[in-house]
Formats: sequence, C-alpha cells, structure tokens
Amino acid sequence: MDLLGNLGLGITVAFTFQNLTYALLGCMVGTLIGVLPGIGPVATIAMLLPITFHLPPTASLIMLAGIYYGAQYGGSTTSILVNLPGEASSVVTCLDGYQMARRGRAGAALSISAVGSFFAGTVGTIIIVIFAEPLTRMAQKFGPADYCSLMALGLVAAVVLASGSITKAIAMVFLGLLFGLVGTDVNTGAQRFTFDVPELSDGIDFAPIAMGLFGIAEIVVNLERHLERGGAIKVGSLWPTREEIRRSIPAILRGTLLGSLLGVLPGGGPTLGAFSAYTLEKKLSKTPGEFGKGAVEGVAAPEAANNAAAQTSFIPMLTLGIPSNAVMALMVGAMIIQGIQPGPEVMTKKPDLFWGMIVSMWIGNAMLVVINLPMIGMWVKLLTVPYRFLAPAILLFCCIGAYSLQNSTFHVMQVAAFGVLGYIFVRLGCEGAPFLLGLVLGPQMEEYFRRAMLLSRGDAMVFLERPISLGLLITTTLLLILMALPSIKKAREEAFQEEG
Amino acid sequence: MQRFLTKDFLSGLMFVAFGLGALYIGQHLAVGTPVRMGPGYVPRMLSLILLALGVVICIVAVISGSEPVERPKWKPITLVTIGIVCFALLFERAGLIPALVVLVLISSLAGEEFKLMEVIGNIVVLSILCTVVFKVGLGMNISVVQGIW
Repeated sequence: MDLLGNLGLGITVAFTFQNLTYALLGCMVGTLIGVLPGIGPVATIAMLLPITFHLPPTASLIMLAGIYYGAQYGGSTTSILVNLPGEASSVVTCLDGYQMARRGRAGAALSISAVGSFFAGTVGTIIIVIFAEPLTRMAQKFGPADYCSLMALGLVAAVVLASGSITKAIAMVFLGLLFGLVGTDVNTGAQRFTFDVPELSDGIDFAPIAMGLFGIAEIVVNLERHLERGGAIKVGSLWPTREEIRRSIPAILRGTLLGSLLGVLPGGGPTLGAFSAYTLEKKLSKTPGEFGKGAVEGVAAPEAANNAAAQTSFIPMLTLGIPSNAVMALMVGAMIIQGIQPGPEVMTKKPDLFWGMIVSMWIGNAMLVVINLPMIGMWVKLLTVPYRFLAPAILLFCCIGAYSLQNSTFHVMQVAAFGVLGYIFVRLGCEGAPFLLGLVLGPQMEEYFRRAMLLSRGDAMVFLERPISLGLLITTTLLLILMALPSIKKAREEAFQEEG
Repeated sequence: MQRFLTKDFLSGLMFVAFGLGALYIGQHLAVGTPVRMGPGYVPRMLSLILLALGVVICIVAVISGSEPVERPKWKPITLVTIGIVCFALLFERAGLIPALVVLVLISSLAGEEFKLMEVIGNIVVLSILCTVVFKVGLGMNISVVQGIW
C-alpha cells in the first residue's frame, strides 16, 4: 500500500493557493452558518451547490467539505454562549456548555471544544486514509446485484436512524426513489413523468430540490416560530484549568472513538455521535449528577464525537458512492454536477481529487481552530443580526443560485414548488433526509437492478445467490427486525425525545 | 374529524396520492418483462409499494391515533412562495434589482416585525452586495436593470 505516496499527492494538491483559499472560504462560511441559528449545513450546502458549478471539481468539494465540518465547530460557539444550537449535532453541547458559560468558564468550554474537535478531526482523517483503499478494492469486486443490495442497506439504515415513524421514513425513501426516475429512461429513451417539459428530460435538478426542501422550508418554519435571540455571555479566559484538562482528555478520546465508529454507519453522522458520546460519559462518570450543571466531559466528548463522525461519514460516500446522510447526498450531487460518478472508481481515476480532498480536510480542521478561538469576538457580534434581515437575504441567494445553474428561471420556479412540498413534509412530520437519499440513489439503483435481472435472465434469486448480496440483504432485514422489537423501539423513541 | 386530522393519517394520504398519481401518469409506459424491463417496470413497482405503504400508514393512524397536525400559519409559506415566483417572473424581464426589491419586500412581510426603513436598508445593502458579487465578481451574464445595465 502506497500510503505515503498517496498522502504526498494529496499534499501537493491541497497546498495549492487556490485549494487553500477554498478550504478557508468553506471553513469561514461553515462557521458562519454554524454560529447563525436558523440555517443548517444541509440548507447552506444546497444553496451553494450552483456556485460550485463554476469552480474546478477539487476546489468545490474541498469548499463543501469545509462548510460541513466548519458548521460543527461554529455550532458549539452558540451552544455555549447563548444556549442555542447552531445546528442539530450541537444540541447536547448546550446542556453543559451553557452551564459552564454561566459559571464564567465560557472561554474554557470553547477552547476545550475546539481542541477536542481538532483532535477528533485529525483522527477521523487518519481513519479515512487507512480504510479508504481496502474498502475501495473490496467495492470493485461488487456486481450489479451486490450494488443494488448495498444501496438497499444504505437506505434502510438511513430510515432506522431517522427520528419519528419508521413506516413514514420508508415511504419517504420510496417517494424519493420515484422522484429520482423523472426524466429520460437511459435504456429505452422513453420520457418518464416529464409532462413534455423539455427542462425535465434530464431529470429534476438536484439543487433546486435540496434548496426548496431544506432551505426554503427551514426559513418558513423559522419565520413561523419568530426566532429571537438573547444576549451573549462574556467569553473570559480561554485557558482551561488543570482539573478541566485532566477530565477532558479521556472524554475526548472516548468521544473520538465513538464518533468515528458511528460516522461510518449509513444514516449515522454527527448528531447520533454527539448524543451517544454524551450518554456514554454520563454513564461512565463517577459524578453523573454534575451533568447538566456544567460538567466539562459533557462538552468535550460530544464535540469530539460530532467532528469525528463528520469526517468518517465521508468514507461510505468516497469509497462506495453511497451517501450516509443528507449532507453526503448533497456531496454526491455536487460530484455528479461536476461530471464525476461517485464510487470506487473515483480513487483510481481521480487520485488527485480524492487525496487532495482528504488532506484538505485536515488542513481545514487546523484552520478552524484558528478561526474559532482568536476570532471568537467577531462571531459573537454576528449573533446580534436579527433573523428578519437574514431570511430575505438567504431567500435571495437561493433564487440567484438556482437561476445560475442553467441560466433559467424554470429552476427558480422549481425552488418555489419544492419549498411548498418541503413545508408540507415538515408539517406532516415526514423527514426530508430519507427522501433525498432515495432521490440520489434512485437512478443508479434502478440501473443496477435492471442489469442484475438481465444478467440472471429475470431470476430475482440472483440477489440471494451471490454471497455479498445475500450478506447485505440479511443485514438489512436484521436491521428492520431489530427496529420492530418493542424494547429497541422504546429506546429509540426515548433517544429522539431527548433531542426534541 | 380529530381522528383524521393527524400527521400520520394525512401523510399516509399524501403517499397514496403520489402513488396513484404516478400510476396514472405512468400508465402509458411499457412495463416489459423481468428480463427486459421496459421504462415502466420500476416506476410501476415503486408506485404500488408507495400506495401500499400509504394505505398501511393511514390504517395504523386511524386505529392507534397519532399527533394532531398543527394548524399551519399561512402567512409565511404563502408570502415566501409568492416572493420567489415574483422573482422568477421579474428576473429576466426586468433585471436583478427589480426582482430583488420585490422578493425582499414580500418576504420581509412574512416575518412578525416589519419596519419599512429597515427593509429599505436591507434592500440597498443586498442590491450593492449582489451586483458586486454576481455581476462584477463572478461575471454572471445577468442584467442588473433590464435595458440599462
């Protein structure tokens, strides 16, 4: 294994002026949206997709990745200082972070979370470097039937980890798969669900859907809730005490480990990692009563976990082409816009892109420590911008971005339509992430399904005869059965209750 | 009525509607055989599964009940949608600035608080920002005000 050679290639790609600039830009934007409550990384990446259209592939992926993990860092700032999670995975950080801030330890909480995140991010990156190549080699042995089963597993896992009703999440997957079929059938050239609209013959564009479903719907819900923010607490000294350091180190290590593991799971990702890490620390602690009153472990572990998970959730996307959460689905969309088919071929055909992106993730993590600690005052000031200024601005950028995709106002109309649909989804308690994963995987899954059936002469048993496919399907079924068990169902409901 | 105005029942209905709609619209697509699938094979399969899931969700919702659906506030969703549609209609015909003014005005009305001076300030700042970023910076082929610049 030519690990060093690969890393060397990555370093030469990542350290060009252009790519460093985009990594920095991504981290800044990510921190910004992490700090500003009311808009999450999914919505932001959806909005910025059209802009990446004008950039080279490597630069655009580096920037999008920067936004993703930048948001994890930025989210902790608002959680600690104003008790408002900037995005979902920072919810647990509020519990003890804000209490620490109220006791005058805000600076320490911020620096521990930044250092913990950086350490976790570094470990996450190393894990990607080590496992990417063997996994890719394994993926290259996959036949069409195996791929189809793998995607089924990915979709089911995403469902299992969605909050709320499982049946509804499964239905959302199928709805997404169905939407994914709009356009010209690749095998026969037939027009499907296009209503003779020429713009739809290439399929529904991914960016307007994501913008409408996540961006617009999120803005509307925030406007309904009349988002208000209180004043921020003074930051104080950034140096943690010796006692705080002693208690944080093992928590950071455990959080990193747990987060890295959960990040790889399809449907896992930062939020699950952060919640599990917090629960684990509380269980292991000799003084569980301190949790919720400003226990430093309650900040260190989840912050490390969400960042480790943010890194390792790239693994299934980069090696198999299977997105494990909504952000990764957007990254797949970004790659397709750039004409790159995500999957095991990326590493062999575009090694500069692959390794450049991985090395730049580490660079981005290092940049974030600098962006977050010395510049904390600037971010705190931003918190005072009221939402009534932000909402119209975000809408405007969505519209211009959608237009710039293909210089067509048809795309802007699509944003409006999917905004309404996204709002209906929110009101009916249907989650957008399973829909998005179905949408992204739909066309590929159909193709693999048809190819597998053609090769087996129409015998569906092919999915059970191939050992890889069989193994994947058994895992899928087990997951579904597990979810139906009453005890697990209850535990799952409780876990998501805590979140809400 | 309480039994039916729930999140689960209504979302079940939504899935049924999408399933039926897809079956109806896709009825002319050839299904083919499992070996040589036509363009309609997978769509029909997915529509039928979606339909079945929708029915199951509805039945379960009626039997075991579910959360009542919150009364939607019509103002934000309607105004935001109208704002985006107006933007789409104006953007090519009138240019960036007119489309921007209309979008920001309408979407500002969607919030709880509306102070005219603030909104005007917001419009001015966004006009300058967008012109500089998109027209000058990114060199997009758009007109700022149709027929003038």
